[in-house]
Amino acid sequence: MQHRKRRKKYKPELIKKEGLFTKIKKNKLAYLLITPAIIGMIFIHLVPIVSGILMSFLKLNQFTLKQFLKAPFIGLDNYKAVLFDPTSTIRSGFLDALRNTAIFGVICSVSVICISLLLAILLNRNFKLRGLARTLLMTPWVVPSFVVGMLWGFMWQNDGIINRVLVDILHILPKKPFWLTGPMVLVAIIIPTIWRQVPFVMLMFLAGLQQIPDEYYEAAKIDGANAWQRFRHVTLPMLRSVLSIQILNGIINYVYSFNIVAMMFGHGAGFPGKYGDLLMTNINRNSFQIWQFGTGAAATVIVMLCVMLLVAVWYKVFQDDLVVKDN
Amino acid sequence: MRKTGINYKKRKKIYNILANTILFLFVFFAIAPILWMVATSLMTQNEIVTGKYTVPSHFENYIEMWQNINFFQYFKNSVIICASTTAVALIIATLAGYAVARYKFPGSNLFGATVLATQMVPGIMFLLPLYLMFIKIQETLGIRLINTYPGIIIVYSAFFIPFSIWILRGFFASIPVELEEAAIIDGCSRIGAFVRVVLPLARVGIIATGIYIFLMAWDELLFAWALTTSTDVATIPVGIRLYVGNYQNRYDLLMAAGCVTTLPVLIIFFGLQKHFITGMTAGAVKG
Repeated sequence: MQHRKRRKKYKPELIKKEGLFTKIKKNKLAYLLITPAIIGMIFIHLVPIVSGILMSFLKLNQFTLKQFLKAPFIGLDNYKAVLFDPTSTIRSGFLDALRNTAIFGVICSVSVICISLLLAILLNRNFKLRGLARTLLMTPWVVPSFVVGMLWGFMWQNDGIINRVLVDILHILPKKPFWLTGPMVLVAIIIPTIWRQVPFVMLMFLAGLQQIPDEYYEAAKIDGANAWQRFRHVTLPMLRSVLSIQILNGIINYVYSFNIVAMMFGHGAGFPGKYGDLLMTNINRNSFQIWQFGTGAAATVIVMLCVMLLVAVWYKVFQDDLVVKDN
Repeated sequence: MRKTGINYKKRKKIYNILANTILFLFVFFAIAPILWMVATSLMTQNEIVTGKYTVPSHFENYIEMWQNINFFQYFKNSVIICASTTAVALIIATLAGYAVARYKFPGSNLFGATVLATQMVPGIMFLLPLYLMFIKIQETLGIRLINTYPGIIIVYSAFFIPFSIWILRGFFASIPVELEEAAIIDGCSRIGAFVRVVLPLARVGIIATGIYIFLMAWDELLFAWALTTSTDVATIPVGIRLYVGNYQNRYDLLMAAGCVTTLPVLIIFFGLQKHFITGMTAGAVKG
């Protein structure tokens, strides 16, 4: 999309060099309008990102913190500590977090998209209480995520409401499991994340569904398509652009997931344990609790590169589904 | 063929009943935790610990939560910071979004791509350098940015601008240029046309974006934990942790505070739900 446009645009500019200046002059107002945004983005986005990447090559810990970018240069040592040094504690923590985040991300993305799609389809009918159902389904998204973390952390406690319902009332489980320590932690962080994310994605799918003309379904029915075939050959293809955007959102949201997990375990002061630590909580703890800013920056760069790779893959897969309506 | 006949009607009815059952099961899962938060906020600490629940009616929690810690200060800080952030970010993003939607200037594609690329960078990538940068600025220039309103407002605004530009761009692009041109022919200036014609038409989108920025700012805690640590500027996510932790374990008050924190965003959201839903979905479908 962008390539095609650029090629078209650059040709005349190359032929007529002075054209660029007249163009800039003609668009003075446009430049004026984006100036504040650009200033903000330079100082709060560009400068920190560049210095963050620089920081990943520096020995930046509690002793050299005050020197900032003048801290001793150590090349790739931070990256080695994060990825390759088998004796480094940061490496084992980082790899745990990487594994957990991968599992967490995949489970959350798949379940959120499936549940949201199901709910959107169920909501996209005419029935009494439709407005009420939609409003109530939306509420989890409005609850601030730190409140979500706090609330679920409270509910997952050993004598909390979830264990009371599951064990004492419904007798589903023989004895009360520990949700907040050990391997069950991942479950305890996945469920609130899905709980809070579903409403928004559902809303997007619902909007997408409402754009599908009824005639398509009528036509499919006349052709003898059953409900599954109508879903498979009418609904899904028509939802591809919404779906692709939500997958992208999911990749970024879940890899960079922080608030709920951080708030659930000691309200930011705790440690979710090696089964529940996510990349962001891991980096945040290493940076602000043991003041290892250099390795923290290196780990962040690694995570960011992974996300960019994922986004590139996403772009390759969904390239054709992005309906970008430019004027 | 199946469309007529009793069999079809029967199936339709069964489908509807099944669909409603599943739907309201999900509705139950969606609101049960929220109801539990409200219920525990009305219990005594003793009831919560022992599990001998009575009818939740301990309204004193909603008085005690303000006295136990200085929650009002945190609440006030959050309101000031989020409202300022919304105003600043919305104004800047509206201008930029309009420029990107209407003008094809040299660099407009690059600008659009940069705006999107910023979304791929994790918050913590900004936080570490910004934290150290702010310390450096304070040392060399004497301007305090950590633990001040302007510091956190600048960071939040800049942080939410790119995404807001992207949503608003879609709205401005959907308004026909002809309307503006007509206004200009009628004697409006370019800016006059923007203010009198475009802004009113994009109102829904601007309100939706504003709600979105406010919700995000209200929700933010990574930067708040690092950049607002003193009580005079700390936001709710920093302060709310004091109910439970080293000094006390007041889950009743914590849940009451959780309800109080959720209420403003709930009111804003459901008060403006129509705008938000039309706004967000229109922007999202347009890409």
